[in-house]
Amino acid sequence: MAIVRKRMECVVSTTKIDEAELAVLLGRAGLKLTPDQVRAILPGAEIFRGMIARINAPLPREAEPALTFDVEQK
Amino acid sequence: MSAFLTIAEAGRRIAARQLSPVELTKIHLERIRRLNPQLHAFLLVTEERALADAAAAEARQMSGQRRGPLDGIPIAHKDIYNTAGIRTTAHSKLLQDNVPVRDAHTVKKWADAGTVMLGKLATHEFAFGGPSFDLPWPPARNPWNTDHFTAGSSSGTGAAVAAGLILGGTGSDTGGSIRGPAALCGIAGIKPTYGLSSRAGILPLAFTLDHAGPMAWTAEDCALLLQAMAGHDPEDLASVDRPVPDFTADLGKGVKGLRIGVVRHFFETDHRASDATRAGIDAAMDFFRQEGAEVRDITLSPAADYHAVGYLLMITEAFALHAPWMRERFMDYGELFRDRIALAATVNGPDLVQTYRRRRVLCQEMAAAMESLDIIVSASQPGEASRIDALTKWANMENPSFTMPFNVTGFPAISICTGFGAGGLPVSMQMVGKPFAEPLLFRAAHAYETAMPWRGRRPAMAE
Repeated sequence: MAIVRKRMECVVSTTKIDEAELAVLLGRAGLKLTPDQVRAILPGAEIFRGMIARINAPLPREAEPALTFDVEQK
Repeated sequence: MSAFLTIAEAGRRIAARQLSPVELTKIHLERIRRLNPQLHAFLLVTEERALADAAAAEARQMSGQRRGPLDGIPIAHKDIYNTAGIRTTAHSKLLQDNVPVRDAHTVKKWADAGTVMLGKLATHEFAFGGPSFDLPWPPARNPWNTDHFTAGSSSGTGAAVAAGLILGGTGSDTGGSIRGPAALCGIAGIKPTYGLSSRAGILPLAFTLDHAGPMAWTAEDCALLLQAMAGHDPEDLASVDRPVPDFTADLGKGVKGLRIGVVRHFFETDHRASDATRAGIDAAMDFFRQEGAEVRDITLSPAADYHAVGYLLMITEAFALHAPWMRERFMDYGELFRDRIALAATVNGPDLVQTYRRRRVLCQEMAAAMESLDIIVSASQPGEASRIDALTKWANMENPSFTMPFNVTGFPAISICTGFGAGGLPVSMQMVGKPFAEPLLFRAAHAYETAMPWRGRRPAMAE
């Protein structure tokens, strides 16, 4: 019998990030970059926003992060 | 004498005094001299050290004091493994003059087992940024076609093993950095269970995802190498304190009765793999069925869910480590490393907590799936190696990885060659076991490898 798990709903981000917002976030992390350096990162930031949106899809309340990484899942 | 001996074969010949460790080492040093200018697999060749190691191994051989199956075997280390008195650079300008004072725990264990160290191997910068052309050393090339990529980050190890420059080497795997190069270079590589082998003395990328493991021509050789690598180390807080099994004990027992689940949607719909990759997996499953295994398809969350969790953790953990240099020496990193890691600046606190929560859900999902299985099968890579100049800076984000799910969960996973694609380069599959079930993974991989012809073919440049 095949194991069937409920597949999580696919979340595709429509959130954009612009150069000004990215520069602020980079600056807040202590990265003082030139406009050219920020522009070089922008395409990746847009893809990454999609990943963050996927991670932020709703989770059940019982999905709590304690013991996040126990390989044997005790 | 063929330079294409496996570790197991070479070990048997050395034990029988039919093969001299010094002569074996000289053959490999000569192959490095001939092929490394095209492959760039080695960042540093430690010839003097290698010959001294080999002479010591030969003395033990002749006096009947051989230490085991790795005594006299030529190996090399990925250049994020600290080597006492020997430059360890992470393939980066930031560490180009770094000379550690201590060996990494696993480097010492391999040395204690009698291995002959030939040098330090190329990596993507700090095990992440590559293939890069703006670093002090060029990226490694694929020996099956040097216009093509090796995958990374254990790029030098993959190239060096496939071309026969070494018989085995170390890799590290945070999102697939052992299994990717193993797949694209047509060799075997295992990411052991999280905690099985120590990371102490290995330059970290992301603490909760990093794994240390071996790469070699065959699964059997990986088993021999892992035997001398695994074990508790109090200096690595993730290291587990449990007995190390005999990783070769079950080789030859076949696959009869094993329960295998294929995560077909990973490589058919989530990220469609090449025809040759899918055909290779189908043929392998036919083989396992014929040999008495039970094979069925299973469904997990989309590969993109695992990939998103792993990628976010990887770059945020890496940024936390690199932040001081990223702030002061941003342009001393290669473009791929610095621009990818800088994305961590866009992660906020709730995002990170949601990542922890989702990781736990995914770990539980995979553990539940494994309750009625012995092995999960997926692709290792989507196809043959791309041209090295065809990869974009964001390529590792554009499609979900097949390897990352098992860094997120920590389950052991081995990549083995399943044939060759339309371009003549290797394709592969990945087999995943329950935590600490490496002996069973080696058993199944060995059964497949010894029944198929793929281990008899080497890159033309190495012949």
